[in-house]
Amino acid sequence: MHRVAGALIIAAFGAALAAAAAAQAAPAATWGIDELMQNLARVKIAKAKFVERKYLSMLNAPLEFSGTLIYTAPGRLEKHTLLPKPESLVLDHDTLTLENKARNQRRTLRLQDYPVIWAFVESIRSTLAGDMQTLTRFYRTSLEGGEDQWRLSLTPAEPKMQSMVSEIRIGGSRNRIRTIEIIETEGNRSVMTITEDES
Amino acid sequence: MSLSARWVIGTWLALLLACIVVISRTEIRTDLSAFLPSSPTPAQQILVDQLRDGVVSRLILIGIEGGETPALALASKRLARQLRQQQSFATVDNGEDAAFTRDREFLWRNRYLLSPAISAEHFSSAALRAALEDDLQLLGSPAAMLLQRVLPNDPTGELLRLLEQFEGLAKPDSREGVWFSKDGKRALLVAQSRAAGYDLDAQEQALKSIRDAFSNAPAAGNIAAQKLLLSGPALFSVNSRASIKTDAWRFSLIATVLVATLLLALYRSWRVLVLGLLPVASGALAGIAAVSLGFGSVHGITLGFGVTLIGEGVDYAIYLFTQIAPRTTPEKTLDRIWPTLRLGVLTSICGFSAMLLSSFPGLAQLGLFSIAGLIVAVAVTRYVLPILLPSGFTVHATAVLAPAVATVVRRAPRLRLPLILVVALAAAFLIVQRGALWSGDLASLSPIAISDQRLDAQLRRDIGAPDVRHLIVVTAENQDLALEAAEKAAAALQRLSQRGLLEGFESPALYLPSLAVQHARQAALPEPWALRANLQHAQQGLPFRAGLFEPFVRDVTAAKQQPLLNRDNLQGTSLALKLDSLLVKRSNGWAAMLPLRGVADAAALGQEIEQPARKQAVLLDLKRESDQLYRTYRREITHYSLLGAGVIALLLLISLRSARRVFDVMAPLAAAVIVTAGVLVLTGTALSIFHLIGLLLVVAVGSNYALFFDRQTASAQDRERTIVSLVFANVTTVIGFGLLAFSKVPVLNAIGSTVGIGAILSLVFSAILITRAHDTAVSRC
Repeated sequence: MHRVAGALIIAAFGAALAAAAAAQAAPAATWGIDELMQNLARVKIAKAKFVERKYLSMLNAPLEFSGTLIYTAPGRLEKHTLLPKPESLVLDHDTLTLENKARNQRRTLRLQDYPVIWAFVESIRSTLAGDMQTLTRFYRTSLEGGEDQWRLSLTPAEPKMQSMVSEIRIGGSRNRIRTIEIIETEGNRSVMTITEDES
Repeated sequence: MSLSARWVIGTWLALLLACIVVISRTEIRTDLSAFLPSSPTPAQQILVDQLRDGVVSRLILIGIEGGETPALALASKRLARQLRQQQSFATVDNGEDAAFTRDREFLWRNRYLLSPAISAEHFSSAALRAALEDDLQLLGSPAAMLLQRVLPNDPTGELLRLLEQFEGLAKPDSREGVWFSKDGKRALLVAQSRAAGYDLDAQEQALKSIRDAFSNAPAAGNIAAQKLLLSGPALFSVNSRASIKTDAWRFSLIATVLVATLLLALYRSWRVLVLGLLPVASGALAGIAAVSLGFGSVHGITLGFGVTLIGEGVDYAIYLFTQIAPRTTPEKTLDRIWPTLRLGVLTSICGFSAMLLSSFPGLAQLGLFSIAGLIVAVAVTRYVLPILLPSGFTVHATAVLAPAVATVVRRAPRLRLPLILVVALAAAFLIVQRGALWSGDLASLSPIAISDQRLDAQLRRDIGAPDVRHLIVVTAENQDLALEAAEKAAAALQRLSQRGLLEGFESPALYLPSLAVQHARQAALPEPWALRANLQHAQQGLPFRAGLFEPFVRDVTAAKQQPLLNRDNLQGTSLALKLDSLLVKRSNGWAAMLPLRGVADAAALGQEIEQPARKQAVLLDLKRESDQLYRTYRREITHYSLLGAGVIALLLLISLRSARRVFDVMAPLAAAVIVTAGVLVLTGTALSIFHLIGLLLVVAVGSNYALFFDRQTASAQDRERTIVSLVFANVTTVIGFGLLAFSKVPVLNAIGSTVGIGAILSLVFSAILITRAHDTAVSRC
């Protein structure tokens, strides 16, 4: 179970930046995006820790958030930020719930009301679920690297999203996601680094 | 023609002319308000006004179904685009960004006047510090992308606060950028007509242009499968006008043709046929004119009742014509039958008076129409017809049919025992079923077809506009005072919602705060130098770039000087529609309505909100109100029906001077009423007030039969003639009323089926129960 958990990945909703993936291993002739997606789809549950840094043009210093991620196939993703302030974000099917226990706040959004946020969360969720169909509905995809060290690049297909995000890079190894980097149009970016949960 | 005859004819024609003049100036109404109480509570009055010309009455709900989601979405967009170009519609919403963008724009530009958070304290350095810390937190969430764009202008999050304020309000689902039902099978649009709800011609035109736009739109995909669904008050009014018009015309026409054919066969004279229709025609004209004079307008359903008069009024001429024995004059015949005829008419009038007394204008109109119509019809029969009837006229069919009818009637008493058994069974059945006899719903009174009601409920659920049950209504002299009153009520509601008495509420002041509140907010906005100083202090130690919030300072400064908002500023947004539906002009001032969500304890809430200090606020429970309305309705009608029956009994007692004869006359009527009600309930009909009225009519019509059966006759021939004329009269009545049973309009249908069954039963039961007393007399003579 630990191994499985470690193998999984989770992801973030927010912004982010991150580590890039090295793309050195020569791709095996048989390995490609379809195989990657199939591998990812096999993961049914995963738990991991994350550290996310946001570099925003309006700020002098990056913001740093950290906490845990839990993914349950096929549609549920939880992001529990612990630092600097506890806050949780739960994506379940088409609703996104933000909860701040300290302030006793709870807000639920329907993704269809916020197309940009929707496109954004799908970049992560559809990747985790290996759901190529949904992914290509929002993004053009390209894959570099090999099975042990891959980098999936997503560029928005819709003009509205294009005006905000220029690229999302997801790096990983086999069926784990290690980094999610989001590059926004106005020079903002965020990088999330995901590590296996040892607990 | 004698001098007195000339006077009679002259008076009659003058009366008809007067009626025609009155009618030509009469407004025909078909809205539903005639079936709402005429002396409602102030709260009910608001509802009635809203039904007549409020924004709600102008809404047309549109659904498109059949086919794939993308094709439906495209059809929705194309239909909306076409309708937006038309003058007939004030707004057309289908969830597309266009409307939302305008709403957002309005909220953004006016956020410092609209936001409830604005106070001097809100811009202190401590409050700004807390806001900025929140912003940093939010920048870590997925909302960051949207937030970044507005943060320099709106670090205190007023836009978000305003959007959130409206977010609790139900909204339809959205797919492919337009509104859809939850299951994704129907694309949804909401159009608001420019014309008021009661302007039915304009509403009809608006509905037609929607249908045209839909069928003309070049749609994608399998358009043949796409179906347009329409609902809303306008559609109901237009449809019920159309179906009342069609049904009233169609059934009147069919009834007239059938009755005329029957009578022509009997009379064998065109002239007499036409004469036979004179009492009815005169009665109908008089009825409409009387209603017009008494109520100022005539409801379509009242007109529809003209057809019922054919059944009842034609009888009088039939009684006269078919009972003229060979070689006697109409006058002599009238001398014989007039006392009975007069008593019959008086009995009917007692029956109809029950409706006249109703506090519901629609029912009262029906009562007045029938009474005026019957009086004129019987007067024309009594005074006009004898003058115009060809001399020596007699109906041969009467003589031909008399022996056969007499034989049947003589044998009828044998059925007495079975009849008593049937009545006992029916009575027992009704007693067993008494809990489930009545339809419990005010909707059973509405002239709207059930299928239309279902579709409306469905579309409303889809669109997320379920019928609100609880409302706070506040009234004031003018618009701004009404908004102030709404703000006071809202403050109270806010406290009550924290105590858990309700989940939330909506208020027109959310969309347009009162001038006082706007002014106070404007005054609370800081001067630019003060705001900059507070910001600088608040920003210390936070990673925001220097000067980042300069746009914020600029916007606050501009807001401090901007003109205050009024209704016109909302024009073109969907918020205007909301405002107009919640803030309405009334004959004596303005009313603001605050729909409540999730009311946990209505009684406690009502007590809190209706304190003397806030005398102008009233908690309105629509469900309770409409149940109340319905119970009042039923109680009233039952009450007056019993009163009517009592007066009929008294009238009979005075006229017949024999308790025994009163019993003889009333027994078959009571039996007919019980068995008719039994049959209706047995066939699965939930009785409504209109069935009760139908039963009243059964008594009115049936009493004529019973009285004629009961009448002392001079000879056997006379009696046979009488009975044959009753059969003819009965057949015409059954044709007139029975046809209404085929109508889709609930009121016509209910009365038609009840009277159709009841009239036959009255005649048959009279034959069975009354002839026995006179059987020997018939044989003897």
